[in-house]
Amino acid sequence: MRTFIVRRLLGAIPLVLGIATIVFFVVNLAPGDPTLRFLNPNMSDAAIEQVRVNLGLDQPIHVRYVRWLGALAHGDLGYSFTRNRPVLDIIKEILPNTLLLSLTAIGGAFVLGILLGIVQAVRQYSLLDSVASIVGLFFYSMPSFWLALMMVLVFSLFAYQGNWLIQFPPSGMQSVDYTFLSPVGKLQDRLAHLALPATSLSLVLAAGIARFTRASMLEVIRQDFVRTARAKGLSEPVVIFKHALRNGLIPVITLLGLYLPFLFSGTVFIETVFSWPGMGKLIVDAIQQRDYPVIMGGSLVFANMVVVGNLVADVLYAVVDPRIRYE
Amino acid sequence: MGHGRSTRSMLAMMTVLTLGACGGDEGAPSGPWKLEASLAEAGAGIPFCEAATARVSEFMSQFEGQMPPSDRYGGSVVVGDIGDIPEGMNNHVSQDYTSSQHQFFVNLMTLVQYDEDLNPIPYLAESWEVSDDKTEITFHIRNDVYWHDGELTDAYDVAYTYNRAIDPETAFPNSAYWTHYDQGPGGVEVVDSFTVKFRMRPHADYIDPWRATAIMPEHLLGDVPSSALSQHPYGTVCPVGNGPFVFVEHRQDASWTFQANPAFPAGLGGRPYLDRYTHRKITETTTLLTDLLTERLDVYIVPTPDQAQAILDSDVVDLLQYPFRNYVLVGWNARRPQLSDKRVRQALTIGTNRQEIVDALLQGYGTVANGSVPPFHWAFDESVGKNSMPYDQGAARALLEAAGWVDRDGDGVRENAAGERLSISIKYNEGNDLRQGIAEIMQAQLAEIGVEVAPTVLEWGTLLGQLTDPTHSEYDGVVISWVVEFKLDDTDLFHSDNFMGAYGWSGTRRPDIDRLLDQLPLVIDREEAKPLWREYQELLVDEQPYTFFYFPDRLDGINKRLRNVKMDARGEWLNIKDWWIPADQR
Repeated sequence: MRTFIVRRLLGAIPLVLGIATIVFFVVNLAPGDPTLRFLNPNMSDAAIEQVRVNLGLDQPIHVRYVRWLGALAHGDLGYSFTRNRPVLDIIKEILPNTLLLSLTAIGGAFVLGILLGIVQAVRQYSLLDSVASIVGLFFYSMPSFWLALMMVLVFSLFAYQGNWLIQFPPSGMQSVDYTFLSPVGKLQDRLAHLALPATSLSLVLAAGIARFTRASMLEVIRQDFVRTARAKGLSEPVVIFKHALRNGLIPVITLLGLYLPFLFSGTVFIETVFSWPGMGKLIVDAIQQRDYPVIMGGSLVFANMVVVGNLVADVLYAVVDPRIRYE
Repeated sequence: MGHGRSTRSMLAMMTVLTLGACGGDEGAPSGPWKLEASLAEAGAGIPFCEAATARVSEFMSQFEGQMPPSDRYGGSVVVGDIGDIPEGMNNHVSQDYTSSQHQFFVNLMTLVQYDEDLNPIPYLAESWEVSDDKTEITFHIRNDVYWHDGELTDAYDVAYTYNRAIDPETAFPNSAYWTHYDQGPGGVEVVDSFTVKFRMRPHADYIDPWRATAIMPEHLLGDVPSSALSQHPYGTVCPVGNGPFVFVEHRQDASWTFQANPAFPAGLGGRPYLDRYTHRKITETTTLLTDLLTERLDVYIVPTPDQAQAILDSDVVDLLQYPFRNYVLVGWNARRPQLSDKRVRQALTIGTNRQEIVDALLQGYGTVANGSVPPFHWAFDESVGKNSMPYDQGAARALLEAAGWVDRDGDGVRENAAGERLSISIKYNEGNDLRQGIAEIMQAQLAEIGVEVAPTVLEWGTLLGQLTDPTHSEYDGVVISWVVEFKLDDTDLFHSDNFMGAYGWSGTRRPDIDRLLDQLPLVIDREEAKPLWREYQELLVDEQPYTFFYFPDRLDGINKRLRNVKMDARGEWLNIKDWWIPADQR
């Protein structure tokens, strides 16, 4: 297994570099100009030209590419054009926010989705199955930003106006007086801020995962080995959770490989609605502002996330299915 | 501030139940002034920042435990804004509005400020004098303003800031401020530690650059190469200002926090009333409104017009409304054959019911514009600026017919003698609902007078690229907004010399407009300038390089507990040092 992981990681290096190279040229050759944000009669043409020089944009694209690659080899991702900070520092500050939100959401989604899927499969055609299917379909087909806005309105605005016992902050990842909180207070504050965005993401994903799990479990629990397990006199929970679930999870794990990179990059609507300072919003802003170094740095992070996400899924296959060996 | 407490209380209960642990928050600081610990952590690992914050901590710690004898002091305020403070506190490379506001009024200082009538008043400069021939200005700097690390602000800082601004390698984004200042050797002279003299050419707005340039610390940045200033950590990681608020913390894409500067000169009001001020970037307007209405924000910067009613209906917040410096326009490219005749452009303006559009799209929070001079400005002429081009479709049809545009084939669209249709595109940028609304309503209204309009949406960067392209060949009409400086000057927009320049969108050329644009910057006396400004506004109405659409009112949502908030065209943070909160509402 270790050899497999190392081989996969080494094999990913040219892949990531290839992606980064394509992104570099696409971004740099696309219409638009990073200095357009200085469009202002108070700024002379000479000053704008000097900005180009200061940002290195006066060089031909192949020179910029070689410079960028050279800097990358030294762990330098350059300076953001718009945030006036090293890209690496920005990513170091923003990436943990994205990981916190994504991993919480994906953890919640898989726990909820798998449990719901199992219940639906075991109680096929019951009222519970029908209700869960309809509710699941409702969330599955719901745009995440709409769900997010509804959660803001209900659990923040209406909760405040109605003086409900439970209220959640509609934005940010911590209160402005977070610094002054005790360690327990900080944890509570962070959980309160995480609740709405993570739930918004989780519900949509969980609905899909539940449908996958239900279909997969239905297929598995009809197979001979499950009948044999029952015939041996094993209790129903052991049959379902020990024997059936392990086989039923294999297609669901494929979903994990797909969802991980999506969550790292595709949370932009949730980040926008809840003002969660994350990677998705960072890159969308950077694209609009033609902040090339941030786009490149973010793309590199995402490319690595895709590689890691797929690797995690492959490793998990082997964990849940003893028949799969990578040696 | 009480926001967030209920959620935390609930979660505290849950935590007690699940973890069996007790915990609570210690709350924001209250009582005598105390240096915030986060300040010392700003820029950890960056030698410049570590040294700078250590000095700030050392200097500021001597004020710990002090509190002026008034119950107005104390409390913290949170301002929510859809944008960030992107350029931080580095005035050398800054032009963004919110960044500039924080430099001018929060963390740094300008030499002068403007009063309500836009007359200069002392700030960092306690006085100044101008030579009789208007070629020299001498500023006397206050001798009691300290940088937050304990250094005195002096004339050398002013000279340093100016020299950086005129250094081409800095790429100062407002380099045009200094076009009438002597940028050669001897252009600036430090007379003594608190006196600095500049040489200049006579100009109506000779003092305006000093209202719009924050003085920067030479002792911290003097050794940094000009071309490296934009990347220096001073601006966004560990700024050291001299203004009423001391930088505490910047969380990337989330917030900036400042605390009161206890060393701010008594002559300028002393330390601000507020203990603490936080600017939060909140990226969605619905969330911003929710934060305001649930009292997690004290100020919501620029709610949308359709949110105004919810604010007015609330018991806890007020709506501030005031005229601002920008106007929305539909620029006509007179290089196009169908738009080259001013009668056509006049017809497009009076054929559009602008008041109705302002009422519909802005819920009435705006004023129909008839020129580039905003209504609050001393140069605004009411007789010209109000109702110069009233909605009149009959008159619009007559103008089009006089210009030779007649519906010759009965299809509802006018043609000229050569059979070319009076068909124009109006471009606007993606994601701007107001501009889209303008283009679409104009399409419907102008169709009634026989003009075919095609609204066309473009990505913002692409649209700007087309507008600034020297050929100006890729658009007929464009909906865009323009921000007016206090120093009015439309030379870049309408002077014939800039016909093909980046801002020569209209492509109109008139010698009488050129004459006024050349003459106005040299008329220093306002009373003498007013008739010229009136003439200029009349000529713009006649020429119609744009359909000047409206001056939108600036709206801000303010929590009622916040007192003495003044906001106007000079900015939202104008008097933040004078905001205060009653003791029982902190």
